[in-house]
Amino acid sequence: MIEGTTQTEAPDQEDEAVRRAQEDRLREVWAAPKGWRYWSAVNNTEVGVWYTAVSFGFMLFAGVLALIVRAQLAVPENDLVSPTFYDQAFTLHGTTMMFLFAVPIFEAVAIIILPQLLGARDLPFPRLSAFGFWCFVIGGVFVTGSIFFDQAPSSGWFMYPPLTTEERYTPGYGPDIWLLGLSFIEIASLAAAVELIVGTLKCRPPGMRLNLMPLYAWYVLVVAGMILFAFPPLIAGDILFEFERMFDWPFFDPSRGGDPILWQHLFWIFGHPEVYIVFLPAIALVAMIVPTFAQRPILGYSWIVLAAVGTGFISFGLWVHHMYATGLPSISLGFFSAASEAVAIPTGVQIFVFIATLLTGRVIYSVPMLFVSGSLANLVIGGLTGVMVALVPFDWQAHDTYFVVAHLHYVLIGGVLFPIAAGVYYYWPLVAGRKLSSRLGRIAFWLMFVGFNAAFLPMHYSGLAGMPRRVWTYSESLGVGTANLISSVGAFIFAAGILVIVWDVLRPRGKEPYAKRNPWNAGTLEWLVEMPGEDWGVRSIPIVTSRYPLWEQPNFIDDVDKGRFYLPDAEEMKRETIITSVLDGTPLQCLRVPGPSFMPMVAAIFTGAVFIFATFHWWASTIAAMVLAAISIIVWLWRGTAIIPEKPEKNVGRGLHLPLYTSGPHSVGWWAMFITMMGDTTAFLGLVFGYYYFFTIHADFPPPANVGPGVLWPSVAFGLFAVAWATALGARLTNQAGRIGLARGLMAAGAVAALGGSAALLWGPYTTGLRPAAHVYPATVWVIAIWTALHGVAGSLMLAYCLARSLVGRMTPKHDMDIWNVALYWHFVGFAVIVTVGTLAYLPLLT
Amino acid sequence: MRARLAALAGTVAVAGCEGAQSAFDPAGLEAERVLLLFWIMLGGGVAIWIAVIAVSVYAAQAKTKVYSDRTGVLVIIWCGCVFPTVVLAALLWWGLAMMPDLRRPADGPTIAVSGERFWWRVAYAVEGGPGVIRNLPRGGVPSSNEIWIPLGKRTEILLSSPDVIHSFWVPPLAGKMDAVPGRVNRLVLEPTETGVYHGACAEYCGTAHAYMGLRVFVVPEDEFEAYVAAQARPAAVDDGRGAQSFLENGCAACHTVRGTPADGDVGPDLTHVASRSTIGAGLLPTTIENFAEFIRSTDHVKPGVEMPSFGMLPEEEIVAIAEWLETLE
Amino acid sequence: MQVFGKTQDNLWTLIAAPAIWGFHFLFSYFLAAYRCAPNDDIFGTRAAIAVVTVICLLLILLIARRAGREWRTYGGAYRNDQATDNARERFLEFSTLLLAALSFVAVVFETLPIFVFWDCR
Repeated sequence: MIEGTTQTEAPDQEDEAVRRAQEDRLREVWAAPKGWRYWSAVNNTEVGVWYTAVSFGFMLFAGVLALIVRAQLAVPENDLVSPTFYDQAFTLHGTTMMFLFAVPIFEAVAIIILPQLLGARDLPFPRLSAFGFWCFVIGGVFVTGSIFFDQAPSSGWFMYPPLTTEERYTPGYGPDIWLLGLSFIEIASLAAAVELIVGTLKCRPPGMRLNLMPLYAWYVLVVAGMILFAFPPLIAGDILFEFERMFDWPFFDPSRGGDPILWQHLFWIFGHPEVYIVFLPAIALVAMIVPTFAQRPILGYSWIVLAAVGTGFISFGLWVHHMYATGLPSISLGFFSAASEAVAIPTGVQIFVFIATLLTGRVIYSVPMLFVSGSLANLVIGGLTGVMVALVPFDWQAHDTYFVVAHLHYVLIGGVLFPIAAGVYYYWPLVAGRKLSSRLGRIAFWLMFVGFNAAFLPMHYSGLAGMPRRVWTYSESLGVGTANLISSVGAFIFAAGILVIVWDVLRPRGKEPYAKRNPWNAGTLEWLVEMPGEDWGVRSIPIVTSRYPLWEQPNFIDDVDKGRFYLPDAEEMKRETIITSVLDGTPLQCLRVPGPSFMPMVAAIFTGAVFIFATFHWWASTIAAMVLAAISIIVWLWRGTAIIPEKPEKNVGRGLHLPLYTSGPHSVGWWAMFITMMGDTTAFLGLVFGYYYFFTIHADFPPPANVGPGVLWPSVAFGLFAVAWATALGARLTNQAGRIGLARGLMAAGAVAALGGSAALLWGPYTTGLRPAAHVYPATVWVIAIWTALHGVAGSLMLAYCLARSLVGRMTPKHDMDIWNVALYWHFVGFAVIVTVGTLAYLPLLT
Repeated sequence: MRARLAALAGTVAVAGCEGAQSAFDPAGLEAERVLLLFWIMLGGGVAIWIAVIAVSVYAAQAKTKVYSDRTGVLVIIWCGCVFPTVVLAALLWWGLAMMPDLRRPADGPTIAVSGERFWWRVAYAVEGGPGVIRNLPRGGVPSSNEIWIPLGKRTEILLSSPDVIHSFWVPPLAGKMDAVPGRVNRLVLEPTETGVYHGACAEYCGTAHAYMGLRVFVVPEDEFEAYVAAQARPAAVDDGRGAQSFLENGCAACHTVRGTPADGDVGPDLTHVASRSTIGAGLLPTTIENFAEFIRSTDHVKPGVEMPSFGMLPEEEIVAIAEWLETLE
Repeated sequence: MQVFGKTQDNLWTLIAAPAIWGFHFLFSYFLAAYRCAPNDDIFGTRAAIAVVTVICLLLILLIARRAGREWRTYGGAYRNDQATDNARERFLEFSTLLLAALSFVAVVFETLPIFVFWDCR
């Protein structure tokens, strides 16, 4: 297009006319689309803001539900709302706050500020972020909207079966809406996790080594990794649950060998890390705010890394502390009690790192710091009560009472909402170019702080005085009327504080001037942003040699603004950012980032339709939507990924030439596949956990070998899948070696073998007459076989996709990203096949 | 019996207002030890909270003195690592060491309790036996919503459920234990004082979850024996107009009154319903008016209840049934 | 000793110690659950957990020793915020050391139940 500017010698960045022209090009390339096409935007500055706004919308909705709950409980024996409405209100309150606010707000804020923080133009997969966002909106509206039709889930946010699985206890669509709506949103979370892990590891600016990464990025890395291992078990649980509800497969029905406790395990393997998944990103905001207002680098950088990583691990060993009263052996409870106490150590470290940083700095006080202090005061209470309920005997009393309600709100409001409020005040200039009012901020803070403590401190008492949670009303003789009245009044004061913030954000600004650049005098890269910000993010992608470049690197802002660093121009009119190495931030590639597209929205709508139609058992529409979703995703990938560039490399500035196309472990696509498949394999292991769980609790599970799926057909499947696996790897190697004909033959053969393998795997249980509704054993065999068979079919499609790409010349021996990723996918499927066949066919022979 | 109940009713009246369902007024071994644990943790927690907040308020003000990094690192190491590790280790050990004694085997009676939507089925004098069992033992002396246990003995409660998960919680005596379909959990109660203690279902089990109360009567051992023997006898009065109406209007499909043809097994056994202090699972005191009200508008008195309302019956039949029930001591 | 030479640290070496904690935790939990489902005697279970504990603690100590030695030998600073390979390496080693200490404590915590509980009640 603009041939003349693709010169080899560097442009003169000191020439203002050159810079103007560059800026015009950058502005045009990164501009959000106009008019109705605006909604096709995928840039992080757009999607991140939409994401944040919608999450806050859901928070306000769930907050209103909480106020209804508090109004009902204000006095004993109240009947302001009906018990059936009350049940829906508290269920949807918890569900919405957790799934539609706490987790999404992390993703939303990370999508906005992570690229800024890393001096990147955008995250590597903006369309994936947009897809996640649209999934979130559709699923969220579906779940929350159900209450207006009196069809909302009503059994508490952890949905314990058999209450929820049996139609006679819970008629209607409530549980299905919960399961399918949230499964859909979990997909969005996994998409965000992939995006954020790759973003943190591969999109850092040149020179930003691991030891220079902003702490926020460390937290994002840890939290995204946790999402990857925490959400899949819930997806596995959802699958079992929904198969029981729709097809009567008895996973949780004890009369046919199932066990309701299995759901509790799968739910809480997700549910407890979840608490830290929402807590750590909020603390990450504190880790950015505290150094700014202490006017010094964080003291104890490694200690924060210790705390984040340590919490990330140990938080996976706490799940049974929600199940102390289920009658498990004491020794098992002991292990979880130990981990629950151990996890308090890294949390304590974090708090004292902040205190030590303040102690050793010259503190400037401000509204964000006010919220940080409030957070600390409340969070420490939540932490201390957490240490209490981690002790098994105490929890036997406190469990499922208002004591726990108080505890969890101290953690979640003190540890998450207050830091988020601090973050809103701190980062608002980044989004809108202006500071929020510090007068309104202080009013909001005090309303929130006083209201919050009035609402939740008395609940500790109510709980131990005998008030169980989730009661529609309570008797006057319980003696907790006064405590509840105070709680209710406090809740409304707290809500008033939230409204002040909402007003502060939305109030008309008139001619109020923009804030000065870097208004808080912070040290990290996100404050390079101009007031108001440009869509391109940073003017040029800087070389970073410090943890706080704005404080420590001389003449830094000017160098960035004058385009003296990398990618100061968009001479080919393409969106570009730099990919670097994991350890040292060595530049590896100039990545062409995709621009606006409606495909993510279309794909999300069809994917959403699959889940929504399935909720109402409209099977024909479900299958049609499934096909359309698959087609839209293939079209999206076909047109938007692995595009062969017009030249092999380009000059990104300062004489550095970077390739425009990479494949294999150097490419972000390979990493995305790797990370996605880690999550996918975790979900698979969740299903396998179900099998071995029943193996543990039933002496006759699996039954004698002749009852199972047989050995013959699973072995045939194993052989065919092995062929497919080998051909995928062989196709990659032969294609790379330039033997395109052979590679195409292998892809075709692999696609066929994979289909055959899938068929053989399902044929086994079919021919041996395993009826899944009869008993939990056949149901478990079927669900694992179906999972692996579906992965075989998807793998077959992928090989066919590669073949087609090769035939039309979109994949060549040099440009072979597609087959690299598909071969990687097949390694994971290979693992799943080994586990599946070993478990289903060979394990029964041993017992 | 009646005099005994009147005496107890006095206790209920006093205890009913405060403490009857409170973990702050313990009357059982487990509840006492846990409350002590709580007070100590609360004291420690308050001290820690004040210390942390004091340090952070001091640190966060615009102070004249700026401390050295070395001091800061020492704060992290001692306050953030060493102190929590030591305190948590001690607390963990204490918490764990409490448990074997609390779960010591019973030396008293075994009582089967089944959590059902939305009441408690009770059976005295059942065979427990050690080891893992998946279904509650059958038989025994049936009752509901009220459990009598002897003072000075460790009574084993076998817990399960035929429908959904419930949780058995009598805070003055002990912590809670879930009643899970397909499993039998064991909870041992060791009361330390006679009296009447209130309990509730602590696991959400459906619309009427809030109305699934129970009462535990802690009595001397001989009284316990006499009570169980009395409960084992058939109903005192087995005919008359009320009994007739009861049988004719289908009540017998769900309720048993031993000594009459009524042998339904869905709802509570009513053989000695008038000897119990409440009806509707801890909801209303046992009076003729309340019996009548419960029969007349069941779902209004106890929203979400499984029993249908019998408001379509003529008023005099309702009253007759209520009067008959009141005689079933 | 060559084992304590200049090894290159990365994110995997960083998480090795907590991963050992994870293994120890899952091993203890699954073994106890498996043996307690039929309410078996658990003396053997407790002994097995004790053996695994010792092995895990030794491995964590080895990780700590390796990281700590290299960290001390080649500079041993706390901040490690320079833009050099050396600082990145020292940062990873120091963080590994801290995580190893946390993992050590967590594994010890995790072992306490086997000294308290003698059966499956």
